[in-house]
Amino acid sequence: MSITVRLPTTLQTSGQDSLTITEPVENIAELVRVLRRQLPGFPAQWDDSMLNFSVNDEVVLHRAEERVLASGDVVEIILALSGGTPVPRSAC
Amino acid sequence: MLPYGLVTIEDRVARLLTELPPNPQFPTQGATLFVDLARRQVRQAYTPRRIIETFLAGRGANMFYLYRLLDESLDPIDPSVPLIFGSGVLTGIVPSAARGNATSWSPESGVLMDSNAGDYFPSFLKMNGIDHLVIYGRADAWTVLWLGDGQVEFRDATPYLGLDNIDMRDRIATDLGGTWTRDLAMANITRAGENQVLTSAIMAGPKACYARGGPGAKMGSLKMKAIVVQGQTHDFETAQPYKQYNKEIATKLLNTSVVKNALRTMGTPFLYRPSRVLGAMGTKNNQETTWTDRLDAENITPYRPGMAGCFRCPVNCRPLNQLNDDQADRYGRGDGPEYVTLGKFGPNVGIDQVEPVIRLNNICNDLGLDTASTGSAIAWAMELYQRGIVSKSDTGGLELTWGDAELVERLLFAMSHREGFGNVLADSTRAIERGHYPTEARKYCMAVKGLMQSDPHDARILKAFALGLAVSTRGMDHLRNRVTLEINARINDDPGFKAKLYGGPVSAQPNNYETKERAVRVCENIYGVGDAVGMCRFTTKLFNSPSLPGLEEFSSQIANVTGLEFDADVLDRIGLNIMGVERLINHRLGVRRSDDTLPDRWFDEEITVGAYKTEKIDRQEFDAMLSRFYAISGLSDEGVPAEAWRQELELVLSGPA
Repeated sequence: MSITVRLPTTLQTSGQDSLTITEPVENIAELVRVLRRQLPGFPAQWDDSMLNFSVNDEVVLHRAEERVLASGDVVEIILALSGGTPVPRSAC
Repeated sequence: MLPYGLVTIEDRVARLLTELPPNPQFPTQGATLFVDLARRQVRQAYTPRRIIETFLAGRGANMFYLYRLLDESLDPIDPSVPLIFGSGVLTGIVPSAARGNATSWSPESGVLMDSNAGDYFPSFLKMNGIDHLVIYGRADAWTVLWLGDGQVEFRDATPYLGLDNIDMRDRIATDLGGTWTRDLAMANITRAGENQVLTSAIMAGPKACYARGGPGAKMGSLKMKAIVVQGQTHDFETAQPYKQYNKEIATKLLNTSVVKNALRTMGTPFLYRPSRVLGAMGTKNNQETTWTDRLDAENITPYRPGMAGCFRCPVNCRPLNQLNDDQADRYGRGDGPEYVTLGKFGPNVGIDQVEPVIRLNNICNDLGLDTASTGSAIAWAMELYQRGIVSKSDTGGLELTWGDAELVERLLFAMSHREGFGNVLADSTRAIERGHYPTEARKYCMAVKGLMQSDPHDARILKAFALGLAVSTRGMDHLRNRVTLEINARINDDPGFKAKLYGGPVSAQPNNYETKERAVRVCENIYGVGDAVGMCRFTTKLFNSPSLPGLEEFSSQIANVTGLEFDADVLDRIGLNIMGVERLINHRLGVRRSDDTLPDRWFDEEITVGAYKTEKIDRQEFDAMLSRFYAISGLSDEGVPAEAWRQELELVLSGPA
């Protein structure tokens, strides 16, 4: 399993603009759980709902956590046009 | 129709003055000055309480004055059609509330002109005890209106004729003394305004401007070159202490992640990337919808020496730019670009490098051109050239080739001077009516109600965006009602939270038509109130974030500052009322349901890239969505307030019998 995750500047704290996830993840919900552990700054920005995902250059604007991922996918984290509040959800 | 049977603007002003109170109606209220440029007369009164209670100040009360003084049998640039400036109830008092509106009958669109600007001018007006300026009559000679120390003076503007923004600001600061941002503020036109270019702005700072609808042309038609305000900044005497709550608002602003991580660091250009990746970036006059990553905000960073801000705003979201160290290069540095300019002078005209976009931005700021309408007018011409609808014989030999930055630069100066093909571009959406283009050109004009689209986002995917652009009272403009949070998956996927934001369920799918009208209604109300209190759109709840100050915070601070009690529900109704009176004005100007629509291209042509490939606007679905919007807004089938509400509004607007 290898998923490339491209990072926005707000998450490039170690100077890298992408990272590779090798843990098995089936969908974005699982990817988020991995990123929470591996990517400093991600939990705060994710909880603040200012991030969207695109998968292979296609932005996911709803049912995002269900989006299935496969090895070789390129996931990009994109600053949303909005954001700024904790979304009251328990998932992820 | 001549309202109230009064023939002249002087008659109408005289009648209105008999109804207006001579004294402030609440702490911090500023006066309304009626400025007759032709007679060099100034009269003063205050906006009545009933108007404040129905529309507030700023954009809201501006509509009251326009409604009462407009003679729609005239032409927008007739000097008897007033140009009205208004600052909000909280302008200059609350952090990030630095805004004011300029209102009239638009020479560009032919419908309502209502344009909003920040920087320092609206706050300095308010600090000089002025909430509204109602200006009419054509001056005999070009005039600078000077305001300060409670005085109004009509000064000779002859020495400033022909000056664009950079030189005008230098000369005024030298001649009158004072320091910008400390004790000197100005709203001025450039040569474009003098020449009544329909995309000309009234500049309110190095970049900030009243941009939309041709305010510069309107001001130029009155032969007024500038309004200068001088005086020391000071605190206001308010009904109750307000500074502690100001701190809470400032903290809220600065703790909001979109402010902290994006607006304060990159400014609005960060918005380019999500739109282009979505496949919704208007490209080549919206023939395409995605463009190069070379224009992503990160690529502007090397040219950004710092950020600037408006009066007492802690956000500082305005990116400055520096292209080189050559002091002789007039356009080597400046203020901006914002996302709109990046889109309009990048993908929309086929330019794929940041340096020319920054340079064109700096030129527009100097020439005093609305980058939205100007960029769109050029893109429209380029598509007409591409299609053979105009040719070199029409353009004076110019080849209107996509991506030719040097050509675009030449066109900007030609527009400003109304020279050659620039004279065609200077007529913006009116180019067909004025005989420059054949009628088939209309099919490719990306405008609604005569106003070019404000922002570069192609709204064929996001149906709430599309509805908002169609029903906006000033024409095709996202700043009136955009449901920006539609582009946030986390919010879309939380139906409970989303329903709470909009007072009821709104579909999670951004490309679904159902229930989007509810979200547009809520946004239009809160943004209308935001304009009436003077709050920046970027820092108003729902535009960039659900957690920014909204009606509750406005309510608390209005009470502290003015002593007037408006709860959130009342403010929401005021937002609706503002839309209502704007629709009454537009109806007098001939606007009907058929004008609440979108460019043909969005109905007829599909998106061809990205996750939403094949998306377009379905005419039947759109029409049904529009009907639902009218129903929840209390509008008739023709898009004006339904009878009972209309009578209520007219009673308030018409005043004592």
